[in-house]
Amino acid sequence: MHFKGIIGLLIMAALTACGNNNSADVPNQASRNSPLTLADGSTVFRRGNGAEPETLDPHRAQSVTSSNILRDIYEGLVNQSPEGELIPGGAERWEISDDGKTYTFYLRKDARWSNGDPVTAKDYVYGLRRCVDPETGSVYAEILTPINNAKAIIGGELPPEALDVTAVNDHKLEIHLKAPTPYFIGLLAHSSAYPAHHASIEKHGDQFTQPGNHITNGAYQMSEWVVASHITITRNEHYWDNANTGIDVVKYLPIENTESEFKRYLAGELDMTGSVPIPQIEWAKTNLPDDYQSYPSLAVYYYGLNLTREPFKDNPKLRRALSLAIDRNIITEKVTRGGQIPAYAWVPPGVNNYKPQNPEYATWPRDKQLAEAKRLYKEAGYSDENPLEVELRYNTSEGHKKIATAVASMWKTALGAKVVMVNEEWKVFLQNVNTKKVTQVYRSGWVGDYNDANTFMELMHSAFGLNGTGYANPDYDALLDRASMESDAGKRRTLMQQAEQLLIADQPVIPIYHYVGTRLVKPYLKGFVGNIMGHFYSKHFRIEAATKAGSAEKAGMQ
Amino acid sequence: MLAYAVKRALGAIPTLFILLTLAFFLIRVAPGGPFDSDRQLPAAIEANLNQKYHLDEPLYQQYGRYLWDVARGDFGPSFQYRDLTVNQLIADGFPVSLRLGVLSLLFALIFGVTLGTLAAFRQNRLSDYGLMTFAMLGVSIPNYVLAPLMILFFAVFLGWLPAGGLGSWQNYVMPVLALGTAMMAYIARLTRGSMIEVLRSNFIRTARAKGLPMRLILFRHALPAALVPVVSFLGPATAGIITGSVVIETIFGIPGLGRYFVQGALNRDYTLVMGVVLFYGLLIVVFNFIVDLLYAWLDPRVKYS
Repeated sequence: MHFKGIIGLLIMAALTACGNNNSADVPNQASRNSPLTLADGSTVFRRGNGAEPETLDPHRAQSVTSSNILRDIYEGLVNQSPEGELIPGGAERWEISDDGKTYTFYLRKDARWSNGDPVTAKDYVYGLRRCVDPETGSVYAEILTPINNAKAIIGGELPPEALDVTAVNDHKLEIHLKAPTPYFIGLLAHSSAYPAHHASIEKHGDQFTQPGNHITNGAYQMSEWVVASHITITRNEHYWDNANTGIDVVKYLPIENTESEFKRYLAGELDMTGSVPIPQIEWAKTNLPDDYQSYPSLAVYYYGLNLTREPFKDNPKLRRALSLAIDRNIITEKVTRGGQIPAYAWVPPGVNNYKPQNPEYATWPRDKQLAEAKRLYKEAGYSDENPLEVELRYNTSEGHKKIATAVASMWKTALGAKVVMVNEEWKVFLQNVNTKKVTQVYRSGWVGDYNDANTFMELMHSAFGLNGTGYANPDYDALLDRASMESDAGKRRTLMQQAEQLLIADQPVIPIYHYVGTRLVKPYLKGFVGNIMGHFYSKHFRIEAATKAGSAEKAGMQ
Repeated sequence: MLAYAVKRALGAIPTLFILLTLAFFLIRVAPGGPFDSDRQLPAAIEANLNQKYHLDEPLYQQYGRYLWDVARGDFGPSFQYRDLTVNQLIADGFPVSLRLGVLSLLFALIFGVTLGTLAAFRQNRLSDYGLMTFAMLGVSIPNYVLAPLMILFFAVFLGWLPAGGLGSWQNYVMPVLALGTAMMAYIARLTRGSMIEVLRSNFIRTARAKGLPMRLILFRHALPAALVPVVSFLGPATAGIITGSVVIETIFGIPGLGRYFVQGALNRDYTLVMGVVLFYGLLIVVFNFIVDLLYAWLDPRVKYS
């Protein structure tokens, strides 16, 4: 065959191959600042979602990206309002017994699965048992441990049927706790507590989450899943509150590269981003003031100190000296520059029924902080002649590196410490932090799972397996244990606050900042309310047909 | 010819076997495991996961099991994408990468060969220098610089093309350019070099002396001979380009295969890494074979028996 012939054939083959044309996605200047509407008039909400979800099985999901989608397609006993307040969901109302250990839920009679089946108490029992069943392999099963017997089931000591949850009738569900847990209702909004459709899981096994197989009870249902490209969910006509679902179709785009996501937003291909790249925040604030949104987040960025090894073992003065020597304001204003909140306390501000316990030195002027740092450093046995030599470990990321560089320089300047920065790949880093054999200082972060101080405090409990610092203070543990049995909200808060004071005094961790979430939201997309959980249910959004001129036009050059 | 093909196919088996063995053991030597995360995994649940994915068995047993599965064409479940199997991931990602790769390859070949030939004909003249400077730039500018600049210009400022995703033909324009430019530049340089050599050779001089028209000399005699080095470059390059590029896929949000090489390794997604490595290895073997066949077609002196 002739060369030209072959080339011609190849071109034809390649062009035919990319023939699945869908002009709806192609932007033009005019459509950049207007919402996408399908030919049949359906409104579409295009959401940037960070990364490909690892699963859409509510009981095995662990990432934020999975949870975002699950919140739209499933519904737990309780929901969250746009402001993040707990509101009735699958349950119309509930009662809590006087001892705080029995919860009785009255389910909505009009709740339906996406195939029209009624949602009954049995579906919740099945879902809860499925989550704690070790067979399921749920990473988040422990969130259900307040339920009686849950811990033993997760540990493989009891069968899943032993979970103390009863379907009294189709619309009445009883959950028995092992101790009063004031934040228990909040846990029920988590995907681990979602009901599951028994028949479809039995039928499809591991494939039950695929479109066509996935039966869900939320405002939306799965319609398309193209791995690493998009997940499309559409209005669930059977949903009890369907009349109030504002948008017909939601398209989740797993765009990992935040710069790419940012450009796609500017090009009019997204209605809301998952975040804003740090280098673009200033630009976005100035040029897209109507689109830029930032809100405090339930998360802390901190440095952990390994208390099982030198130099931090039995040396609280040194730990505090290092904390004092860090200028958090410089880090948030000059390094991270995303509006983060300088942190001295462990629990982020804005948590329900809690006041974060800042140490006294948080409000000191910088000079006084430095003087105190130097004094403690000396008392801990270090000096210019005998400087502290320490490794500061972080996992590969530009952001972590910048912060580590700044902190290392602060420790060097203020105290004369010699800091070696160690960069490690994520899994290597995790292993080192968990085994505590080589780590000294390591960077870490913690994102709260529910709106209660306990989600932060329990991390430092000596019985909590994931404590890279090796912190074990019986007094701290005792305060938390007492708090977990306390049903009086005020008393419980006092106990938790005392525990945090103790923690900050012991300083096994150096909180650096509390996170803020940042997003770009098109002005025509209504209903965005920043909330501390960072949970945004698609059903709360509306698209306003008449669009404001110009978010991207205003953008111009960057 | 058939005997040669059979010999090559049999020869590929030990190559792939060694590749598979290396991939299997190397990824397991890396610290950390697929289920390590910054969340605590209860011991019983971890044990269950290990049992489900046979990670609790001795290594030789896992290896044997994996070999047996692969022999039956089953790459196993992905550890990271827990709803999917490696076969599903490859089956979804490969067509996308193939399409993009073939288009980039065509772009690189057509423009690379044309520019290289033109430069060779104008050797040491201004147009030659111009073309080769352009080629040098193409080789030197990495695609992670080129791609975001193109997006900014064509998608954000001009709004002519979509900034990412896949859907219509417009989505392919920038990724194809970003992926193909370096290869095009490389092919242009290769073609120019070998074309200059060919144009000086005796058989071309003979053809000219016989008074054959230039077009005929070029297309029938010079080009096939000049393309031999390009073809040997194309074998492994094709296998590389059609298995995707993590950079291009990440920047343009393309659901191809390239990202799995990197993500699989970072997530310690053992089965995914082994699956894509083996698949890539297989493609390299196949394309090297095709290249060898093309040699025989392009150069009459090459014979296989």
